[in-house]
Amino acid sequence: MIYFDNAATSRPDEASVKQAEKFLLNDFYNPSALYKNGHRIQLEIKSSAENILQTVADCENFSLIFTSCGTEADNQAVFCAGKRGNVVTTLSEHSAIFSAVNELKQRGIEVRFANLTSEGKTDVDHLLSLVDDKTSLVSVIHVNNETGAINNIFDIAKRVKAKNKYTLFHSDGVQAYGKVPFRLTSDIDLYSVSAHKIGGVKGCGALIKRKSLVLKPYIYGGGQQQNLRSGTENVFAIKCFEYASLKRYSQIKNNFNKVDQIKTTIISGLDKELFKIISGRESSPYILCVSAVGLRGETVMHETDDSGLIIGTGSACSSNANKRHSRVILACGIDENVADGVLRLSFSAENTEKEAQTAVDILNGLVKHRKEVMR
Amino acid sequence: MEKVIIVRYSEIHLKGNNRGWFEKVLVVNMEKSLKGLRHEIRRQSGRYLIENFDSENTDIILNKLKKVFGIHSYSVGLKVNSDLNEIYNACLEVCGDEGTFKVDTHRADKKFPLNSMQLNAEIGGKLLNDNPKLKVDVHNPLFIINVDIRENGTALVFNEFFKGAGGMPVGTAGKGLLLISGGIDSPVAGHMIAKRGMSIECLHFHSYPYTNMQAKEKVIELTKRLSSYICGTILNVVSVTHIQEEIHKKCDGEYMVTLLRRFMMRIAEEVAKRRGAQCLITGESLAQVASQTIEGMTSSNSVIKDLPVLRPLCGFDKNEIIERSRLIGTYEISIEPYEDCCTVFLPKHPVTRPKLCDIEREEKKLDIDALVDEALSGIEIIKI
Repeated sequence: MIYFDNAATSRPDEASVKQAEKFLLNDFYNPSALYKNGHRIQLEIKSSAENILQTVADCENFSLIFTSCGTEADNQAVFCAGKRGNVVTTLSEHSAIFSAVNELKQRGIEVRFANLTSEGKTDVDHLLSLVDDKTSLVSVIHVNNETGAINNIFDIAKRVKAKNKYTLFHSDGVQAYGKVPFRLTSDIDLYSVSAHKIGGVKGCGALIKRKSLVLKPYIYGGGQQQNLRSGTENVFAIKCFEYASLKRYSQIKNNFNKVDQIKTTIISGLDKELFKIISGRESSPYILCVSAVGLRGETVMHETDDSGLIIGTGSACSSNANKRHSRVILACGIDENVADGVLRLSFSAENTEKEAQTAVDILNGLVKHRKEVMR
Repeated sequence: MEKVIIVRYSEIHLKGNNRGWFEKVLVVNMEKSLKGLRHEIRRQSGRYLIENFDSENTDIILNKLKKVFGIHSYSVGLKVNSDLNEIYNACLEVCGDEGTFKVDTHRADKKFPLNSMQLNAEIGGKLLNDNPKLKVDVHNPLFIINVDIRENGTALVFNEFFKGAGGMPVGTAGKGLLLISGGIDSPVAGHMIAKRGMSIECLHFHSYPYTNMQAKEKVIELTKRLSSYICGTILNVVSVTHIQEEIHKKCDGEYMVTLLRRFMMRIAEEVAKRRGAQCLITGESLAQVASQTIEGMTSSNSVIKDLPVLRPLCGFDKNEIIERSRLIGTYEISIEPYEDCCTVFLPKHPVTRPKLCDIEREEKKLDIDALVDEALSGIEIIKI
């Protein structure tokens, strides 16, 4: 079985899980407990936070809040930073942001959406034109989960701050962290990451926060994590996240080059008569968005699945025509016929060139046959 | 004093010499629905007593009985010896603390020393004496204390009647094959026919890979929900993918749905015969969609050779069907989004009033028997 749906979730890194296993079975103590064993676990969490943080930011200026997932981190950013005036975001956000800002709208806050370029990047000039003296929050996805388009969030944040220095800047980095190399700059106030996209286990994410930023909690309770996120910490998942992060960052350049080669192989191997490449040339090598124009992405996905190739689709299956197409793909200006056939292939460093070649053969063969049947 | 559930049956009363058989089937169905819960079912004249169950399971048992066809009503009551003191103590148990009441006695055992009227007066008088907050109102009481004196030296005391599902016990009116799509209508159609005592098997068509596994899972969920009324069922699943591809390749696109439905009926009749079903049941409602015009029904019906096709929803409006599906608990599953196999290769303008001569012209382009056989050879049978 070839697994090309790593943007949905990745296989947990076995060595990291084994290393963290003792926190599941032996070191099970509550990190908030005051006895020695509890305190020891508290220190373990602290060191995990620092180790994860230092992979992308300096620990002097940034801190990290563990959450239950990337979605929770995004929700905390939106609901705790977007409190007044207006909120500016883009049409390419993951549902974790998109649904959350729509809820903000219900609560009476104006939400403005920046357009996308045909490659799926944020139209920065349009975004800046939406920012004014009443903008409390700008949220721009770092790497889009459907197209792989990379936004230069550091440049965008800088220009947003130049326009309104009180505006907070958040970015959803779930598909960027551990994959594309970057360092957070002082213009970034909040940044969301997730463990299970990089070899950690599900049920763990984090919100990275500029240290001097005063943020309200999103979940209230026993006051864990400096009262920023109550709830007993998922110590095992946090330790897995730490070990997987450290491993990923020790190989980030090699991995990047490896998946870039896989993506290049697939792009050049796919029959241009059958497929339209949607991902832009400068997109993340980890994500490739293509369309089997004229077919339904889901039909192709089922068939590749039966042939031993797992891929994703850009659109959820629904008999409701309004929900049939991905809003992100349509926002790139792609017409419905092409959007219908969208497929997402997403890679990890565990994938091989040979798999890429096999995938190309499966896709070309199946789509050619299906198109003939449906002609 | 023992807690019991009194179950009364409905139309079985009207049966003559074969009444015993209907009664037995109803017991079997109740046993199936109460499987796994400790209990004993005892037959009495015109009713059943459920005894020896765990008191904390009472609500679970009542909820299960609610779904058994053939039951007219049921009550939770107390079983005591036919002794005035014991009967009175049971009445005290089921009597409310305050408000208006009346006592209603039925005396099957004519040897009991007091007649019904005397017993009503005796118990009513004692209750009034013991609790000054109670008042008698024989016309519009807040609660009625029912006393049922049986021939076997026992008496039943209860205060509430719950309405049962009605109809006839499933398994007393033959077996039908329900064509189930995943929409709102077909489970309601199956439920209606099962209510008249028919055992139901289900048949679902899918178009994988054009439709997904979730659509099939959804039909399994629907069948499970329906199954709680019909004492278990079988779901037959048949792929019509290749048939649709052939129609698409060789025939006029306008006839896709018409031709597909004729194939479905052919396959359904064959499955029904193989599975011992005596009729087909569909959720069609006249004029609801393009394929459910009388011409559409004529066209799909004309391929059926031997079996009748029951269409219990024909005279129902959509909102009446929705109301029923809410009542039987299938609505929330039915409305989950899914891709119906009829929407694959859907033409922009399907034929709404197909003519048989046109259909037959289109069908000449296909090897019908081979396609039906091929579809049947891949049948998947799932026990629900």
